Amino acid sequence: MEGFSIRGVSMVYGGATPTETLSDINLTIEDGEFLSILGPSGCGKSTLLEILAGLQLPTSGEVWFGGKKLKGPGIERGVVFQDPSLYPWRTVYKNVELGLEFRGVAKSERREAVQRYLDLVGLSGFEHKYPHHLSGGMKQRAGIARALANNPEVLLMDEPFGAVDHLTRLQLQDDLLNIWEAEKKTVVFVTHDVSEAVFLGDRVVLLSPRPGRINQIFQVPKHRPRKRDDIELLKIQNDIYAAIHEVKSSDNLEFTI
Amino acid sequence: MSNQNHRNRYRWRILIGQIVLLIACLGIIEYLVRAEIVGSLYLSKPTQVIEEIYKLFSNGEIFHHLAVTLKEFAAGYLLSAFAGVATGLLLVLIPHAEVFFRPFLSALLAIPKVTIIPLLMLWLGIGLSHKVAIVFLFCFFTIAFNTITGIKQTAEAHLKVARVFEASKLQTVMKVILPSAAPTIFVSLRVSAATGLVGALFGEMVASKDGLGNLLVQATSLYDTAKAFAIITIVTVISVLIIAVIDLLEKRIVLKWKSS
Repeated sequence: MEGFSIRGVSMVYGGATPTETLSDINLTIEDGEFLSILGPSGCGKSTLLEILAGLQLPTSGEVWFGGKKLKGPGIERGVVFQDPSLYPWRTVYKNVELGLEFRGVAKSERREAVQRYLDLVGLSGFEHKYPHHLSGGMKQRAGIARALANNPEVLLMDEPFGAVDHLTRLQLQDDLLNIWEAEKKTVVFVTHDVSEAVFLGDRVVLLSPRPGRINQIFQVPKHRPRKRDDIELLKIQNDIYAAIHEVKSSDNLEFTI
Repeated sequence: MSNQNHRNRYRWRILIGQIVLLIACLGIIEYLVRAEIVGSLYLSKPTQVIEEIYKLFSNGEIFHHLAVTLKEFAAGYLLSAFAGVATGLLLVLIPHAEVFFRPFLSALLAIPKVTIIPLLMLWLGIGLSHKVAIVFLFCFFTIAFNTITGIKQTAEAHLKVARVFEASKLQTVMKVILPSAAPTIFVSLRVSAATGLVGALFGEMVASKDGLGNLLVQATSLYDTAKAFAIITIVTVISVLIIAVIDLLEKRIVLKWKSS
């Protein structure tokens, strides 16, 4: 089944010197797939994610989801932001409750969902803490629970683990995979970390910068659970590094000419 | 533990020192007036001031005036708080409104409010509405401008979250914009509480039939210096109490989520 269908999407930011951020992106994201979008900073990967979220509309091309053309945000698509963007004036519980509250879901039903997802991300016991009491990793867990509480079909994640330390990051990756397997969501995961992209994704889409375009799509062997030192994963990582290096050297060539 | 003890002892020492200084100052004034180095027309013995305060309360004279002043203040202050926040919200939320109205608001803000008091007298008389208008003018602009500043500081990321969850405009205002502007709005509420009280008192001193400001003018025109000091003391205590109430509100609403 088809989740997202991205058809000829380009994004140009206006101004005195218009810059093309994304150029002719064509991509299909399968239902239930874990897709990593990998690229250096400035390749427009966050822009692409915001287009999928409906926060921005592409200047040309269109995105379809579940047989409908996207026109804006929707509850079937949950977003986890790079900076978890929790509301500091709300407790963890009230933050996770946010989407349900906006939709006017009954209080008892909300409580059930919030508790379930707090348990799932490992934050039970922290319900009544305010975000400034939480560590970076815990904030991001709360951000994930907030997106999940609305029970979306898709989780769109924008470099969610970029700001946490390495060990916490590995733990969060493991936990995310467990959640993904338990919840059967489609996940689109934007990152600039090659090993993270390969360890998590069914496929890794490598974007090249200025303007962002699809450089190559890598298929990661299906079998899970994965081991970080799996030889096949390491080989794909090497292939990706090689592809990135190629882009860089051709870039340099353009500069010197 | 010992560190805690140490800090407690330090705090006590400072407090005792402060009390000693206060008593010493009052004692010196008491001496100066008693020894007739300073005439009792200019300064009053603190003991006599305390006596006057007691008298004002025991004969009940103060209660009527206190009620009048507090009513004027409360009405003007609450009105300006609601109008100020609402104006700030509308100016930011209605596209182009702030750019359009800002010069007018700034001009109104720049008018020294005391100069309008005689005109207000002409329009509103010298009763309650006159004082309410003065308090309103003293408070409104600060609150409106701080609301605008606070709203503009709403994090883009927080608004994005609301958009992703398809929050309505009203929900976005009530659950994202106002809470995140609350700390900035509270700063203006605290400042305006003090200036608002000044507005009410000043209005009464210029033209009124009753109120604490009126009582003060009466006392000084009769050269009743001790009574004047008694009223000043009472007004000061009221001002401190009002600010304490605002601080308490702020603590309940804002400070619990602000990292210290």
